Amino acid sequence: MFLSDNQKKIITLLADGEFHSGTELAHRLGISRAAICKHLKVLSESGLQHSAVSGKGYRLDNAMELLEQSKIEAILSNQSKGLLSTLEIHDHINSTNSYLVELSQQNASSGFVCFAEHQTAGKGRRGRQWVSPYGSNIYLSIRWYFQSGPASISGLSLAIGVAVIRALRQSLVFPGSGTSMDVGLKWPNDIYSQGKKLGGILIEVSGETDGPCTAVIGLGLNLFLPETQAQTITQAWTDLTKVTGQQPLSRNKLAGTLLNQLLPVISGFEAVGISAYIDEWRHYDCLKGQSATLFIGQQQIKGTIEGVDNNGLLLIKRFDGLVQAFASGEVSFSSSVR
Amino acid sequence: MDIRKIKKLIEIIEESDIAELEIKEGEEAIRISRYSAAPPQVVYSSAPSASPALGAPQTAPAVAAEEKISGHVVKSPMVGTFYRSASPGTKVFVEIGQSVMVGDTLCIIEAMKILNQIEADQTGTVTKILVDNAEPVEYGQPLFIIE
Repeated sequence: MFLSDNQKKIITLLADGEFHSGTELAHRLGISRAAICKHLKVLSESGLQHSAVSGKGYRLDNAMELLEQSKIEAILSNQSKGLLSTLEIHDHINSTNSYLVELSQQNASSGFVCFAEHQTAGKGRRGRQWVSPYGSNIYLSIRWYFQSGPASISGLSLAIGVAVIRALRQSLVFPGSGTSMDVGLKWPNDIYSQGKKLGGILIEVSGETDGPCTAVIGLGLNLFLPETQAQTITQAWTDLTKVTGQQPLSRNKLAGTLLNQLLPVISGFEAVGISAYIDEWRHYDCLKGQSATLFIGQQQIKGTIEGVDNNGLLLIKRFDGLVQAFASGEVSFSSSVR
Repeated sequence: MDIRKIKKLIEIIEESDIAELEIKEGEEAIRISRYSAAPPQVVYSSAPSASPALGAPQTAPAVAAEEKISGHVVKSPMVGTFYRSASPGTKVFVEIGQSVMVGDTLCIIEAMKILNQIEADQTGTVTKILVDNAEPVEYGQPLFIIE
C-alpha cells in the first residue's frame, strides 16, 4: 500500500477516530466527494478499516496517532539528542532494517534512526514476516558504527532487550498502584507478556571480522494489532492495548521513551559490555525454570532452562543433569511462562 | 569416529580444566567425562570452552582433524549458527567455484539473535565450504577455503 498525498491527508484528518463528513473531507482536500470515496475504498482494501454512516460521514474503526518528528523530539533527553544524528519517519518502507542496512553501504555514521508507519516487508529472523499494519505499532531501526568487530558486541542483543523493557516499564506504570506492567524477556530478547509475544528485536551486523562493524538494530513492538491483520501470525501474540486493558499509548511518547533508553545503551555498549546488563536481564527472564526445547538446525535439545551465563548464553539443564550453554537456536517452551 | 581423534580429544581435556566434553559430528557422538560423579558443569555446546570471552581460544577438534588444508581458511569469529543464505529459500551467498572479492558476504552466523554477515578477507575462488547450512559452529572453526 503506497499512500498518495491525498490519502495521507485523509488519514490525518480521520486519525482522531471521529466522524468526518464527505463534504468536509472534500472541502479540506479540494477534491470531489466521489474522489474521497474512491480513496477511502483503496485505504479500506489496504487494511485501514472505516465505517461510513449516512448523515454523519466517515470514521476510522480505530483512532490512530500518527508519528510526528517534533512530538518525538520533544520527549528526547539531552543525551539522546546528542547521540541521534538523523531521525526519519517513513509512511511506507519495505523494512526499516533493510533500509538502514542498504544505506550503510554508502555511509555508516552512528545514530541514524528510522521509524515507519507501515512496513511492506517487515521481517523477523530467517525470513519470517513481521506483521506491520499502518499507523498502529512501532517499527524502529537504529544504525550504529562500532570500532571493534562483531565478536565484541555479541551480548548487545540482550542489552537491547533490557533497554526496551526499561522503556516499557517507564511508560506503563498503572495509575494509582505505582506498579509497572508485567513484561519480560524470552532469550535472547523477545519481548513477552503473560506468555505471549509483544515485540521482537532483530540485529544485523556487517563489517570486517576484526572490526569495525556496523549494526542495524530493529524493533517491532505491538501497540494495537487488529485481529484481521494478525491472522498470519503462527505464535501466541499480544499487544500493549491488550496487556494494559487501556487505550493505546501515545505512539510519539513511547517512540521518544524507547530512544531515550536505547541510544545510551547502544552507544555505551562497547565500553561496558554485557556484564553491565546481565543481572537486570536475569530479573526480566521469563523462561527460567521452564521445560523447553531448543532447536538448532536439525538438533533438538530438551531440558529445563537454567537462565543465562555471564556472557548471555542460554543454559539448559538436560534430563541427565548436564548443563549446557548455547549461543544460538530457538527456544520453544512447553508450559506457560509468566 | 577415528581413534586418533578420540585420543586427541582426551589430550585436549587433560590439558584443560574441562570436566566433560560432548561432541556430535553428523551421526557420531562422543562424550568424555573426567569425573564420574562430578556436580553439573556447564558444557559449551559442542566444543571446548570456545567463545573468546570464555577463555583462551583453543583449537576445536574439527580443526585438529582437518588435514592438508591449502589455501586461505576463513574461520568463524564466534560461536553461533551458520547460514549460507540471507533467509530460507533465497540464493546462497557463495557456491564452490565462485570467485569472491574482499568484502563480499560469504555467510551469516547467528549468535544470540544477532545476524552477523561474514565477509571474505581475501580475494580468490571458494574451493571448499566446510559447514552445512543451519549447523552450529564454534569459535575458530574453518568455514570456507579460498584459493
